[in-house]
Amino acid sequence: MKKLLLALALLASTPLRAEDAAAILAKVDQFRTPLDSFSVDVELTVYTPRDKAESSKFRVYGKGSDRSVVEFIAPSSEKGKVMLMLRDAMWIYMPTASRPIRISPLQRLMGQASNGDVARTSFTVDYVAKSVTEGEWEGRKTFVLDLAAKDADIAYSRVQLWIDKASYEPLRADFYVVSGKLIKRAVYRELGQMAGRRVVTGIEIDDLLRPGNRTMMRYANLTPKANPDRMFTKDALGKW
Amino acid sequence: MITRIAFRNVFRNRRRSAITLLVIVFGAVGLILFGGYKQQTFRGLRESTIRSRLGHLQIYKRGFATNEAKKPLEFGLDNVAELRRAVESDKRVKMTAAQITLMGLISNGDKSETFLATAVEPRKEKQMNGQRLVSGTDLPENESDAVILGRGLATSMHAKPGDYLTLMTTTSTGSLNAADVRVAGIFMSGIKEYDDRAVKMPIAGAQQLLQTKKVERLIVMLNETDDTQAVRADLARRLPGIEMKDWSELASFYHQVVLLYNGIFGFLGLIVSAIVVFSVANTILMSIFERTREIGTLMAMGTTRARVARMFLAEGLVIGVLGAIAGVVGGALLANLINRGHIMLPPPPGYTVGYPLRMLMSPSILITAAVISIVTATISSIVPALKASRMKIVDALGHI
Amino acid sequence: MLIRLTNVNKSYRLGRVDVRALDGIDLDVDRGDFLALAGPSGSGKTTLLNLIGCIDKPNGGRVVIDGVDVTAVPLHRLAATRRDALGYIFQTFNLIPVLTAYENVEYPLLLQNVGRRERDARVRRWLDQVDIAAQAKQRPDQLSGGQRQRVAIARAMVAEPKLVLADEPTANLDQATAAHILDLLAKLNSETGTTFVFATHDPAVMSRAHRCVRLRDGRIAEEARALVA
Repeated sequence: MKKLLLALALLASTPLRAEDAAAILAKVDQFRTPLDSFSVDVELTVYTPRDKAESSKFRVYGKGSDRSVVEFIAPSSEKGKVMLMLRDAMWIYMPTASRPIRISPLQRLMGQASNGDVARTSFTVDYVAKSVTEGEWEGRKTFVLDLAAKDADIAYSRVQLWIDKASYEPLRADFYVVSGKLIKRAVYRELGQMAGRRVVTGIEIDDLLRPGNRTMMRYANLTPKANPDRMFTKDALGKW
Repeated sequence: MITRIAFRNVFRNRRRSAITLLVIVFGAVGLILFGGYKQQTFRGLRESTIRSRLGHLQIYKRGFATNEAKKPLEFGLDNVAELRRAVESDKRVKMTAAQITLMGLISNGDKSETFLATAVEPRKEKQMNGQRLVSGTDLPENESDAVILGRGLATSMHAKPGDYLTLMTTTSTGSLNAADVRVAGIFMSGIKEYDDRAVKMPIAGAQQLLQTKKVERLIVMLNETDDTQAVRADLARRLPGIEMKDWSELASFYHQVVLLYNGIFGFLGLIVSAIVVFSVANTILMSIFERTREIGTLMAMGTTRARVARMFLAEGLVIGVLGAIAGVVGGALLANLINRGHIMLPPPPGYTVGYPLRMLMSPSILITAAVISIVTATISSIVPALKASRMKIVDALGHI
Repeated sequence: MLIRLTNVNKSYRLGRVDVRALDGIDLDVDRGDFLALAGPSGSGKTTLLNLIGCIDKPNGGRVVIDGVDVTAVPLHRLAATRRDALGYIFQTFNLIPVLTAYENVEYPLLLQNVGRRERDARVRRWLDQVDIAAQAKQRPDQLSGGQRQRVAIARAMVAEPKLVLADEPTANLDQATAAHILDLLAKLNSETGTTFVFATHDPAVMSRAHRCVRLRDGRIAEEARALVA
């Protein structure tokens, strides 16, 4: 017994091998972005310290980890707008305008688009695990993975990820910038059944630069869809 | 002979000629004083624009202006130290200052705003100094994370000196970065739209935020503004891979002021010239009237119409030259007196102190005034001279 | 024959009325003549003198001077003729006030572009001829009437014209001075052969003339030739 305990203790403190870390990441991403080409309904609620909570609804069409088209459903003032989010560029099309407008990286930082980016970050594609330790979160035993961005152009250069040790469900992710400052925290609050599997259905994202500002994103109706490549172009936007 | 007659006729009626001369002198002095004031204003504005903001030359990496950078400082200057050494080796260069402009979000924990920052070298910036500090201190030399804010931005961020804010931007590789900064001071540039967004920060801080060693541009300050084009040509020859802009290409406000003043003073000059023209023309017409019989006699003797006309043109010219000489001398003297007088003018918009009234005296101003005086006086004698030349001999002879 | 006038008419407008100054004048003037155009004021003598002198144009008829029909030429183009062939003496002397006596006499030679040395020689000669050399450097306002007229005569003669026209040359002079001036003119006429035509109402002048053409109301009334003077 004692030997087993010792072995377990040793196991707990040693960093996992690279393939193990990659395998863990892949499992985590399965809970978050299980389908390659899909559509999903999103309800987004923004909480601020002073103002009333505001809700909006979208339908998101995604392909891969870095392409999505977001169709605004509600509120009625936003209905009809469509956004195209690519890795390097973001466009918005408004029914009142004749052509789509490009959103600068700075503007992307400012609004809910940044939370969308956070929610859809692919840990497998963009990050590599530098180390794994054990930890705890809200009473559950967790693996804590320290992820480093593979490329210098990835938005968050470091992510710390809490995973449920038993189920490999993602629990919490802390997003850091190059200077080491912690900018956002995502807590994967709700998991449920969609498209025949268990996936994250609710994320809570905190803007740590502005304490008290929190965005709640709820997913429903995740459906596999064969989204053609040409759907994710600026020209296609105009045809919505 | 024509000159002799012209000269003597000018002095024939001393009083009338004196008055006419006074008008020309008045015009010339006016041109000299207006011109001098205008030139002084231009020089002052030019030098203050150059020395506090633009520098004489701005050096960029070749391709900066024409290429669209997808990431910050994609077309920035690298090898800055080497570039600086090469530039400063020219004795005509007073100093160089590196700068970066960047945009991002600034947050006080409650809300975020976009900011537009100019990252500077604090010690060099002190030598230039374009804006007024409203509170706090200027950028400290050794602290890379202190900033000064435009007044509007400080108000919007509810920030005062000593407070901490967060700057967030995309780095030169495209990832995000954020840094906490301390507000050292608040400044006012006088332009509200600028102050609502402006941040000044040390260049080291910006380079850290952008994760780069590059700079956006190198500002070159010379000892003498007149050396600008020569130094530019030299640098273009010596240094590859760069492109430059000189202050004149960038000082749009200065050029607008020049245009405006030239327009205003040109118009005034026109009015003054008109007065001179009418006055001289009037004098010569009177002179012709009085000498009608004389003109008839000259023509009877075989003087051609052209010659008669030339006689009176010569008179206009003589008056013009005399007036020009007196005007230039008088104008230069008067300008000198005014310059010594240290007359203080009220402060211009955005400033708190006035400045002394000065006129710049240069050979070109004096020569221009002289030439204009001579030309206007001669022009004004054209019509009278033509009138005289077309007189009918018999009528002229019969004139009292 | 130097001058021929054929059927010359001249009228001018006075208010709303056309006044006939000259009507059908026929006149011949020979070289060397010393001719007086005489008549009361308004008789047209000054007008006739002006026509001969190429400073006015007739309304009808022809004026031929030394073979050249000057009526065909516009007045301003006759400046060369006036400069080279004609000389003028006026009742009011008409000297250039800002020029000295010397310079007044010099002026016609400057118009002719005569060289400096020759100019100086000729001016001095003529100042001597009219006996005004001592006043060479003086301006007209410093000279008496007679002296001014003498300067004027020198000026009229210095270019050696073929014809000299004199409009009442003695009218502004006292009798004694007038007589001297007339003597001078007569002497010049006989010595140089220059033709002289006067306009005058002065009997003294008329009596000195070789020919005297009387005008009345714009027409030649009569002509008298003096017996050899």
